[in-house]
Amino acid sequence: MRRQRRGLKLLALIAGLSLVAGACGSDDDEGSDSGSDEAGQAEGTQGGDFVDLGTFAQGPPEHLDPRINTTSDGWQVGGSLYDGLAETDFSDPENPETVPVVAESWEVNDDATEFVFTIREGLTFSDGEEVLPSSFVRGWESASDPDFAGDYSYLFTFIEGGEAKLDGEADTISGVTADDEAMTLTVALSDPYANFPAVAGFQTFMPMPSAIDDLADQAEWERGIMIGNGPFMMEEPANDQEIVLVPNPEWDGTQYDESLGLPEQPFLDSLTFTVGTDQDTAYNAFEAGEGDATVFASGRYQEAQDNWATTIDTPFLGAYYFMFNDRDERVGGPENLLLRQAISQAIDREDINTDVYEGSRTTATGIAPPGIPGFEEGLCEYCGYDADAAEAAYQEWLDEGNELAEPLPIQFNADSGHEPVVQIIIDNLDAVGIPAVAEPIPPDDYFGQLAEGACVFCRVGWLADYPTYDNFTFDIFGTAALDGNNYGYSNPDFDELIAEAKANTDADAAGELFREAEQLLLNTDTGVVPINWYNGTRVYNGDEVANFVETPTGHVTWETVSFSG
Amino acid sequence: MTSYIIRRLLQIIPTVFVALSFLFFIFFLLPGDPARLIAGGAERNVDPGVLERVEERYGFNEPIGEQFTNYWQRTIQWDLGESFLTNESVNEILGRKAVASVRLAIWAIIIEIIVGISVGLLSAIRRYSIGDRITTILTAAASAIPVFVLGFVLQYLFAVQPNKLDFPEWARLRTSGIGPDTWTFFFIPTGEQWRYLILPAITLASVTTALLARMTRGSMLEVLRADYMRTARSKGLGEREVVLKHGLRNAMLPVVTLIGIDFGTAIGAAVLTEFTFNWPGIGSQIVTSVDQRDLPVLLGLTLAVVLAYALVNVIVDVSYAWFDPRIRLGKGEQS
Repeated sequence: MRRQRRGLKLLALIAGLSLVAGACGSDDDEGSDSGSDEAGQAEGTQGGDFVDLGTFAQGPPEHLDPRINTTSDGWQVGGSLYDGLAETDFSDPENPETVPVVAESWEVNDDATEFVFTIREGLTFSDGEEVLPSSFVRGWESASDPDFAGDYSYLFTFIEGGEAKLDGEADTISGVTADDEAMTLTVALSDPYANFPAVAGFQTFMPMPSAIDDLADQAEWERGIMIGNGPFMMEEPANDQEIVLVPNPEWDGTQYDESLGLPEQPFLDSLTFTVGTDQDTAYNAFEAGEGDATVFASGRYQEAQDNWATTIDTPFLGAYYFMFNDRDERVGGPENLLLRQAISQAIDREDINTDVYEGSRTTATGIAPPGIPGFEEGLCEYCGYDADAAEAAYQEWLDEGNELAEPLPIQFNADSGHEPVVQIIIDNLDAVGIPAVAEPIPPDDYFGQLAEGACVFCRVGWLADYPTYDNFTFDIFGTAALDGNNYGYSNPDFDELIAEAKANTDADAAGELFREAEQLLLNTDTGVVPINWYNGTRVYNGDEVANFVETPTGHVTWETVSFSG
Repeated sequence: MTSYIIRRLLQIIPTVFVALSFLFFIFFLLPGDPARLIAGGAERNVDPGVLERVEERYGFNEPIGEQFTNYWQRTIQWDLGESFLTNESVNEILGRKAVASVRLAIWAIIIEIIVGISVGLLSAIRRYSIGDRITTILTAAASAIPVFVLGFVLQYLFAVQPNKLDFPEWARLRTSGIGPDTWTFFFIPTGEQWRYLILPAITLASVTTALLARMTRGSMLEVLRADYMRTARSKGLGEREVVLKHGLRNAMLPVVTLIGIDFGTAIGAAVLTEFTFNWPGIGSQIVTSVDQRDLPVLLGLTLAVVLAYALVNVIVDVSYAWFDPRIRLGKGEQS
């Protein structure tokens, strides 16, 4: 009997320890954690056909070819088919870092005008063709062909000879040299730019196989089976109902740096992007079990967070703000600084986030969002809601002899969900005595009209092309960026700080310069009114799906996604 | 009869020409620069070089008259051009979308005819009964409920909830999409296809069924009062024969007209249903093409819709002679 009792006690002890160990080791968190082993490589259960309902919930992609694609939706496919020279590692969100991918490493000269990328040996496209430095030259030359170039072709002007190529004055980009023997790609820049590797990882700069040389029209490439060097490949061309990808057997994620945590092969057997017509229908389909992930549907954020796993905690590299047209006498120039400060302080941003976005966004305290190298919280001195200060500033502006002869018109693209935001702003301004009126502009020509001077105080949204501070400063507010800068903001001190920051290879020093420039824009000039920063928008079944990571650029690392098994 | 049919078919030509020409010129009156929109102007400031290439590639830099002439020269040869956005042949797009639309339309019309005429007939026969009052309320409600609201409710009831309650697979309908390409005799779904078809077909049929029921009821009520109906009864014919053979047939003229219009609408204008259920039909593609200023697709699909409407109307007109032998087509109407 005593032996039995001892045995029972031992059994109970073992059972108890097992229970404790199981509880400690369980991971029922609904977040988007990446499981990884000690070496940092992603782990997951092999197998399964993943159906994504959200990426193209509102229609087919404009383009899939990364050389001409401009949308983050299209990049979900492009980024799965292609790997570039570098990408941003967001595993430490506070300190994102540009890391080499297809490039093994790079060297930069002292003044950041020349980069030499060493390409990894042994990488191949899905058809077995080797990825060489000349593969990048092929891709870049076709992407900068004046007869084919897309909206992002202007990035080739960063490279020496790129502008001449785009203007049709040269046959090749003179600043790019490929040495397939030495496996090096040398890039001479037209101006100092320390962040060029981050740009070189952008979709426009993907390598291309020799198959594109056989095309009579490069536009045919995305209508057929695109051959790439990424984790996935196509077995059939995309159609207007779905885009189906399967693992690329030639790809091996362990050939890249461990810090990226990539598996040897994607875990999924297939990845299907369905093409829809309506976000609500896509959400219903997700709830009906017809897919494994979708995006938030309007008005259903709380429901999604209550019932499913989401990526809402992932800060996006995107900003939502209103711009003043510095060329408009009603709001522009130093004489209207107090008016701009008053407007900025009168707006209750938390109210907008709660009422319009159901708390799904982050109230902005600057323009550059969290996740941008060099970001700092709270740069904007006039972004806090302070009706008293707003009223005082407005009164002081009036006392200087100024007046608003008619209500301040607020421009935005109509029928795109901005009406309630603008209405809150109008109400806020009215509360401090500033008359304002909504001026919706047809969405199909909104930016065209802004370019022609329609902006007085206009809505803008900006998603990062690449995760650099200059993408949120120079590209929007730089004097030389006036083709993209529709608002007339031009400050030589701002331009000088940005140029100095771009040329600085010391990340900390560059970050300080960028922040100084942003403060000039936000506080000294109050040229912009930040409202909020975007957050992740994906919804997925956390009980069945693991390793679902949406990066701050909006790209889902599909090669690490797996079913829980 | 034959000459009448030929004449009606020939009338389609000027109908198509006027409709499409009108649409062609209206396109250029829409706000916004189509070239800029095609180049992505709704999302960003377009690069001038890109804009110039778009204008040259799609002929926007040519005079409108020349564009118009080029368009008709191609269309006469049934070359509907290529999509500005995807460069896909419009003929191929049309083939795909038209098939989807016709299949959905056929089932919507089948539901409409069976349910609408039955309900309307019963309401007329049992006028002022409880059944009549109930169907009056239901048809009013059905025609008042917006199509997309009904669609979302049906998705929730028959797809989302069954999934949440873990119904067996066969008992769950699909929220959206067109499903596997499994059909027999062109329009009869096989395999899993029926689970995709049911909800959009019911939704599309909902409003028109209600209207058809009301139309049938009203038309039958008129017929039931007619002298020949009393004569038929007095001759000793059974009530079923009186109603169905003598009454219904005479009541069908306005009903058939409505069915013809509904069929044309179901093919080319079922936009809300197609959007709600992601059914890749003509209607939603036309709306998308207007939005994207994709002129070849817009004109090509509209051509198909105009042709469909015109052909259906010819069939409807010819059917009048069958329903009412007093009607002699093509030789002047006689009462």
